[in-house]
Amino acid sequence: AVVSTQSGHYGRDIRLGDYAGKLCVIVDLVDQKHLLVDGPTTGVPRTVVRINQVSITDIKIDIPRGCKSKKVRVESEKAEVTSKFQNSGLFKKAEAKRSKAAMDDFGRFKARVAKVSRNRKIRSTVRKLKKSS
Amino acid sequence: CKQQHDQAVVSTQSGHYGRDPTEDVKRPLTNRRKVKPTKLRSSIKPGTVLILLAGAHRGKRVIFLKQLPSGLLLVTGPYKINGVPLRRVDQAYVIATSTVVEIPAIANDKLTDAMFKRKAKPTKNEREMFIENTSEEPKISAERIALQKEVDAVVVPAVKKVEMLPSYLRSKFTLTKGQFPHQLKF
Repeated sequence: AVVSTQSGHYGRDIRLGDYAGKLCVIVDLVDQKHLLVDGPTTGVPRTVVRINQVSITDIKIDIPRGCKSKKVRVESEKAEVTSKFQNSGLFKKAEAKRSKAAMDDFGRFKARVAKVSRNRKIRSTVRKLKKSS
Repeated sequence: CKQQHDQAVVSTQSGHYGRDPTEDVKRPLTNRRKVKPTKLRSSIKPGTVLILLAGAHRGKRVIFLKQLPSGLLLVTGPYKINGVPLRRVDQAYVIATSTVVEIPAIANDKLTDAMFKRKAKPTKNEREMFIENTSEEPKISAERIALQKEVDAVVVPAVKKVEMLPSYLRSKFTLTKGQFPHQLKF
């Protein structure tokens, strides 16, 4: 199983389905391929999800197995799960993808110009170094 | 058939019992349609940057000035920036971007459809047809050039205020690999 038998209750990211991109907590294991999941602070209802619909982060909350939503909410707020997640690489990558897709035509132009000028500088310095060596 | 529906049969006889078809007059049906200019897309406002999709300037980004009574959009490059003059453009052949430049309202009476009307070529009689026209009138009237300068004197400073906007207007819109218009946000 992806999650160990001692059921580390990690906060994790739902990737597919209605709650894509949202964070929730593993509350219990159903079987080898299913997890009971709850995200009271992020709007994810207490549901059973397939393990492959989800990617597990290394944020952990101290909750007993199968505990109620109220306790999950209290503990996740105490552990400041959302702020920890926002500092993680997974969130930052997802944010970058989202902001790229939301760029308008002018934004895309500016990004292209920035990329081109940056690559030019890099290439010219590399060439200079090659010449001097 | 259509012939029958476009015309109303009007009887010239009044108060007669039974009409004589040979005396009936065919008149076209009254047309009460009022032609309105095309509805302007909500995304198009004065100062909006538009991408032209057809014509000689396809791919170029221009500034929208106003909608003319004919329904066409009046745009300008500005001319000094990308070579697009004061031009009429159809809304259907344009992508409106979300970039809007703050330009003061241009209230110029001369900016109408009449400005774009082509001058009728003088008809030549049989003898003159074989004589070449030695004096060619300049292709662009001095009037147009003056008007262009007037409008651009207002638009260009406003464009220069925004960082990178002049070079943006100078560049052309293209699709690269992996870009699909229905997925792009403009």
